[in-house]
Amino acid sequence: MRLILRIRRGFPSASRYELFTLELDGSATLLDALEYLRTGLVPDLVYRHSCHHGSCGTCSVCVDGKEVLACLMRLDSLSPKQPGAESADGEGAGEPPIITVEPLAVFEPLADLAIDPGLLFRAQPEGISLLRESEPTAIPDPAAGEMDYPLKSYQFEDCIECGCCQSACPECENSGVATPTSSSEPAFMGPAALAALRRETINHPDRLEDLLERASLPDGVVACKRHLACSRVCPRAVYPAKHIELLRREITKGSPEI
Amino acid sequence: MASICVDGGFSPILSAMDRYNVAIIGGGGTGAAAAYDLTLRGLKVALFEHGELTSGTTGRHHGQLHSGARYVLGDINIARECMAETLILRRIAKDCIEYNQGLFLALNEEDCALTAPFVEACLSAGIPARELPVGSALAMESRINPKTKRAVLVPDGTIDAYRLAMAFFASAKAQGARIYHFSEVVGIDVTSGTVKSLLIHDLLNGREYRVAADAVINASGPWADRVAALAGIEVPVTAAVGTMVAVEGRITNMVVSRLRRPGDGDIIVPQRRLSIIGSTQRNTDKPDGLQPQKEEVEFLLAAADELVPGFSRQPFRAAWSAARPLAGRGNDDGRAISRDIAVFDHGPLDGVRGFFSIIGGKATTLRIMGEKVSDAVASYLGVQVASSSADQALLPHSAYWRLP
Repeated sequence: MRLILRIRRGFPSASRYELFTLELDGSATLLDALEYLRTGLVPDLVYRHSCHHGSCGTCSVCVDGKEVLACLMRLDSLSPKQPGAESADGEGAGEPPIITVEPLAVFEPLADLAIDPGLLFRAQPEGISLLRESEPTAIPDPAAGEMDYPLKSYQFEDCIECGCCQSACPECENSGVATPTSSSEPAFMGPAALAALRRETINHPDRLEDLLERASLPDGVVACKRHLACSRVCPRAVYPAKHIELLRREITKGSPEI
Repeated sequence: MASICVDGGFSPILSAMDRYNVAIIGGGGTGAAAAYDLTLRGLKVALFEHGELTSGTTGRHHGQLHSGARYVLGDINIARECMAETLILRRIAKDCIEYNQGLFLALNEEDCALTAPFVEACLSAGIPARELPVGSALAMESRINPKTKRAVLVPDGTIDAYRLAMAFFASAKAQGARIYHFSEVVGIDVTSGTVKSLLIHDLLNGREYRVAADAVINASGPWADRVAALAGIEVPVTAAVGTMVAVEGRITNMVVSRLRRPGDGDIIVPQRRLSIIGSTQRNTDKPDGLQPQKEEVEFLLAAADELVPGFSRQPFRAAWSAARPLAGRGNDDGRAISRDIAVFDHGPLDGVRGFFSIIGGKATTLRIMGEKVSDAVASYLGVQVASSSADQALLPHSAYWRLP
């Protein structure tokens, strides 16, 4: 398929949009398209990527204003609606779609599509478990003979720390772009950190009190205004807004004055 | 920190430049482990990566923590190395591993005949493999092929490819290593047969600058020949492309492998809520911008169905390709080339003192690769401190982004 990528390029001090017309298989992903450009016409195109299957969370970008993982965004799933088709002179029909690709909002921009994800990691309480107990894929059958194998299995928590929720959250955006050197802390720790905090209350009930105390600070659950954008963009179905709501209830239960 | 250097080979250098004991080219798992190992020995280290960290081969691997069982029938040394490193990683990088063990399945008579020698070879390599009654294997993982004839339990697992490498980067950074992403090395200055400095193109501001180094490590994986060419050297590396397919749904908790000699499409690795089948192998001249081929995807899905029937009916998630860097040159698909780790000291080999290349290995052996090349570099620099990268737990991957 033919499409035009309108990519934000340049450094934070001086950025611009550049248009690239591409002819690629519809099953290719947006990340494949970026790779195609970088290994061909645009060797200095800057973007983050690593696993290419939606597990590392590095390739998140905004496509027509919506946060996505570039590696899972198939080109043929991109909207065929195009500014050209809607133009008043009616000559746009048949024109390739124009897709705008920009870096995530909220995070410190580096160059082109790359951001520094530090904000996300600095917001998380330290020592959060990255693994949780996994559901068994089989039910042990006592008739099958002696089982000395430990049936407990573990898997990584679902959140891949891609930052999509942080970028989509209007409250995070209002907090301003935080950098490691900025003196003021963001006014909202963000959906990813709160979801991780909630997961930790399940993995480590012994830490519950401390975790709820952290979540009750002014940059915690009270700073969430229930826009639900986080749950809408999350590519791994973590539903951060649900976790924030459950934390809110837990906190209210413990201290009726909040 | 900075010193004046006036002996540059490209042009007279009048401005101050940063000087390091060791400059590492390549921000994958090997470079990360080397940076960590060298900083623990007290050396001043800088690492330069052309793209984002782990954006080459490292981040894209299958995700298998290899006990070494896969290699016992072909190369017992690699099998031993995998087992030793598996035990170390389970100790120092716990958070980066879903450790749920693995099953090898014999599905036909040929596989069955291989079972006894396979278990025996595992045991002699120090891998605690154990044959299970098929009923027990099915009770553990109900979705494996019900026609399984024999099953062997081995200590395999799943690695988070990104987080494991980032845990090494975080730990190296905390020890003082300087890590530069989006920084392409565009020149290597060799004067009087000794490596002197690197010319770096910083993609984050478009500028070029030079850093001086007493030694340089080429840890650029399948790009090792291109990097070595900057110093006028030839390095034998084969880029063997592997394609993998991920489907939605965690079909098993354990890694499931076919009990036969290593081939294509014979390992299923679960990870989070995904299952990943790999891999294929073909050679390429161009390790950049790899695309999976339709036939590879179809082949892999069919092969997965043999191990776990119904795999191909799970919702498709992604297909991708990575270039394995194999040390040596092969004319065939590269399976014949060893997975062995090769350290090249280009002083005695090619007359460029202080320049080293490290090629080969596997994700599971990233730490020992870092240790081996660091041993060679430390010896060249006259540093007596031994490696201690296996001694203590790594920092979590997130520390990399927390640290200033």
